Order: sequence, then C-alpha cells, then structure tokens
Amino acid sequence: MKVAYYPGCATHGLSKDVDIATKKVAELLGLELVEVEDWNCCGGGFLDEYDERAHVALNLRNLSKVEKMGLKKMATPCSVCLNSHRLATAKFSEDKEIRKEVTQRLQSASLQYNGTVDAEHIVWVLVRDVGVERIKSMVKRPLTNLKVGAYYGCQMLRPEQIMGFEPAYNPHSLEDLISATGATPVRFPMSTSCCGFPLMGSNPKGGLKLAYNVLSSARSAGADLVVHPCSLCHLQMDVTQFKVMEEFKTGWTMPTIYVTQLLAIAFGISPKELGLSRIALKALEERGIT
Amino acid sequence: MATNLEQREITVRVKRFNEDKGEFWSEYKLSVDRFTQITEVLRRIKTEQDPTLAYRASCHMAVCGSCSMKINGEPRLACKTLALDVVKKFNTDVITLEPMDYFKPLKDLIVDMGDFYTRMFKVKPRLYPAEEVVKGVAEQRLKPEDQRELWKFAQCIWCGLCVSACPAVKEDERFLGPAAHAKGYRFLADPRDTLYEERLKILLDSSWRCTYCYQCFHVCPRDVEPVTTIKKTRAHTKFSKEKTDVMSTGERHVKAIYESIKETGILQEAKVYISTYGLATAITDMLHTMRNGKMKYALIREKKVNEIEQIRKLLGD
Repeated sequence: MKVAYYPGCATHGLSKDVDIATKKVAELLGLELVEVEDWNCCGGGFLDEYDERAHVALNLRNLSKVEKMGLKKMATPCSVCLNSHRLATAKFSEDKEIRKEVTQRLQSASLQYNGTVDAEHIVWVLVRDVGVERIKSMVKRPLTNLKVGAYYGCQMLRPEQIMGFEPAYNPHSLEDLISATGATPVRFPMSTSCCGFPLMGSNPKGGLKLAYNVLSSARSAGADLVVHPCSLCHLQMDVTQFKVMEEFKTGWTMPTIYVTQLLAIAFGISPKELGLSRIALKALEERGIT
Repeated sequence: MATNLEQREITVRVKRFNEDKGEFWSEYKLSVDRFTQITEVLRRIKTEQDPTLAYRASCHMAVCGSCSMKINGEPRLACKTLALDVVKKFNTDVITLEPMDYFKPLKDLIVDMGDFYTRMFKVKPRLYPAEEVVKGVAEQRLKPEDQRELWKFAQCIWCGLCVSACPAVKEDERFLGPAAHAKGYRFLADPRDTLYEERLKILLDSSWRCTYCYQCFHVCPRDVEPVTTIKKTRAHTKFSKEKTDVMSTGERHVKAIYESIKETGILQEAKVYISTYGLATAITDMLHTMRNGKMKYALIREKKVNEIEQIRKLLGD
C-alpha cells in the first residue's frame, strides 16, 4: 500500500527520531510512504491565530500536492500537523468566505485543491489499513514484561467531529498497538490531557506543569514508559524532559517514546539504532532491551 | 412507518455526594429505548426508584444548560445524550454518571456554578451600546457579515462543560476559561459595542494562557468553539498598548513562526526558539537536550521549500 507522507517540521528537526522509526516500521510492514513533494509547514498550530486564511491556504497546498501525486491519503506522524490540515479542510468546505478567498490565493499560486485528499494520522493507517494482526505477525521481540502508558494527547482526538477516527473519550488505537507488541497497555487518568506544548510559546511555566501532570500520572499508574502519537508531544516530554524534571525537582524520569519507536523495538530493531533519548535507552536497558 | 422501540436493560452507576455521607456510588437498573435521554433516565430513577437522587434539568432540549455532567467520563448535557448512543459508543450496558469536574459538588450530580458565573461576569457579558442608541436618537445596526462572524460565538448556554474540561483553568487562576473567552470575544468583535479598550484589558493576557487542547471545542453542546475565539482574540494583541509577559512572549513566538514560513516555507525550530525566548533560555534548553542525547537532531539542516514564491502568494503577499 502506498500513501503520501507528510513528516512536518519537527519530525524533520528535533523529533527526527520519530521520522526514523516511522519509516523503518512502514518499510517492514510493506507500507510505502512517499514524501509529499516540496511540502511546507502547516503553521504549527499557531498560524491560524495570526492569519486564518493563510493557514488554510498553506495546508491545502500540501494536500493539492498529494492530489497531483495521484495518492488518496496523506499520513502524518504529528498530531498537530494532522489537526491543522483537517481543520483547514473543514473550514474550506464549511465557510463560504474562506473558500472564496483561499481559492483565489491558490489560483494566484497556480494551485488547485479538489477536496479528494485529507490528512490522516499514521496511527490510523497502521490500525485500520495495515491492521493489528499484520503488525503482530512482524513482532520478533515480544515486549511482555513492559507496562506501557498509552498517552493520546489532544490533537489526534479532538475535536472528535473533525478528527473522527475514534471516540475522544474512549480511544483505543494506541492500546491496540501496544498490545500488538506483547506489552501491557496502561490507561492512566491523564491519558488524553494536554502535554502543554502549545502553551510553551506564551506561558512556558504553565506548559511545563501540564507535562509534569501527564508524566506523574503515568508513573502513579505503574507505567514503565509512555508512548505518544505526536512529534510536538515528543519535543515536550522526550527531548526536553529534563527541563520538566528540573522545574519540579522530581528525582525521577519517565521515558516517553513515539508509538512507532515501540513497534520498531518489538520488530527487533535496537533502541540505539533508532536514536532514542538517553532516558529511554537507560530504561529499556534496565529491562534487558538493547 | 415501522418504529423500533425495542427495550434494553441498562445499569446506571451514579457518583453521589452529600455532606453527611461524603462520596458514595448508587446503582440502578432500568429499561430504555432508542428515544430515552439521560435526563429521562434520571427522572425515572428519581420518581420510580430513589427520590433522594439529586440532579438539575429543566428544558430537556439543550437550551437551558442545567443538566451538565460526566457521562461515561465525557462531559455532556444529559438531555442531549441518548442512553443507547452511550451504550453503542462505549460498547457497554453500564452508564456511569458523575458530576462535572472542577466545580465544587453540592449534592449528587449538582455542582456549585458560582465560579463559572464569576468568570462570565468578569468579561462584562452584555452589549454596551453608544449613548445615542441608548437615548433612542440613533439606530443599532449590524451588518450581515458582522452577524455571521458573531453568531456562532453567541450561542453559549452557560452550561459550564467547557470550563469543567479545561486543563488550563485548573492550573492557572489568571486564565478566564473557554466560555468567558467566547462571550468576551463575541462583544469585543461586535461593532455596536463601545468597550473595546476595556475588553482588550480583560481578555488579552488571559487569551495567551490557553493550551489549545481542543477540549472546549469537543465538549461544547452548542458548537461554540471557544478555542477559536481565543485564537481570534490573540490577533487583537497588536492593538494593545500595554503588554504582559505572556502577551509579549506569545506575540514574538507567533510572529517568528510567520516570518520563518514566509522566508523558508518551513518552521525553523532554532530560529523561532531564539526569537521567542532569547539566547539565554535557548542555551539552557540546549543543555537539557544534550543531556538527553538529542543534540544531534538540533544540528540537522532543514530542507526549505523550493517554490517559495507560491508560499508568499498563499500568505497573501
């Protein structure tokens, strides 16, 4: 199966390890990811507050490229990129004024969006199109002794009427994938709460508190590590986790990895090859996973 | 027309509270059909099984905003929720009803809404028209395009669901909360209103304290989209003379994102980071990144968009 792949800026930047694992997992599963030609930033969840129409137009440029590539789906590993593109297509189809102006802007840039393609999360493609059974069949190293917190975050789930893959208050996609690796999924009270990343741009102290709430909630529920579905959650809870820990003087860390990183480990790829963080490498090593 | 009124037995678990007994759970069984609202479930429990059960409900048509509660963990209006829809969505015959989070419980499903009303009154939730209009010497006119902008955001029924679900409200007392922002923006953007400057002072700092989690968008039974009004309010920051820390940081951040996209088509993390927080914080965070073995990714040279002219046209340049 072939789908267009939209990594987004963080996945090609500080969250590069999300990209590495996602591509490896897709390759092993026979899922061909074709990168969107000359893709642009979706606005990172902020551009719409600055210029709503520019936000819609920029997101539709990516989708128009996918239409041109002759593909039907654009999968992204980043929940914020997903949310941004899906909000853009929803506004374009529902709001006459926005549609009129965005169409003009697209035309001025010699672009056309026909509405045949929308963004999907890579998790949706894995669970629905590839299938949990196929994923199970690829597991070489069952992670049976691992308790994995399933952290969904926000933007893959909400607003449910626009994201639409699973109920925002009863999601199960990550638990399905965690179970497929042989690990035990752990649902914790803050499973669908915000990691605070979007607050880092204006109120960093508040943002760090939200990240701390999620990590400590997973810890209290007995998780050995947490998986999440977003390149920006990755920045907040993996890349700069020491910042959170220092702010709240925890004395503990909670390894937080991207969901395809967990799959890749179960498929037999070494955590080092995946370029995981030191926090994650140490925790996995302690459990004999190298 | 055939009507399927098949009955199905469900179990309803209610989280209860009163000052004498504290918190406890009660369980009830009853039959429902596909038209049975949760408010009807509660009415039948109260009249047929347990008169001590306390809950609020009035209009039964998503207008009065009285029957807010958590239904299988999800903040919803009981009247706008059909029992069998919950059974289907959660794949269980057990429906759990709890009072809303955040607000102080008074009795069973009834919570103290005082905090919610305080938030709403802080934003002066009514129109302050021009003097000539009050005296009756001028007409209050609203253009259709302005009405279109305001209509959606004026539909709030003061049910409190969005505030109960908001993570920022719980952590930050200076954040007004989603409903107050929707109401505030609805008047801020109303051309008939005369309190623009004052409303900016009330709303702007708070608007930068939202974390864009989309809970309010999801739980609102009237599709008000409070988070959208917060985004739209932030856009007014440029009209404010006084700026608090969160306003200045936020404004620098979003401007840096815009400039980065305009220049390269992508979001250059390092550049945006330094423009937002300054070099000192950037260096501290670099050390955290290094300690976690992630510095190698900070050095990646991001691929810029080739057709940058296209991007500038889409930005409306």
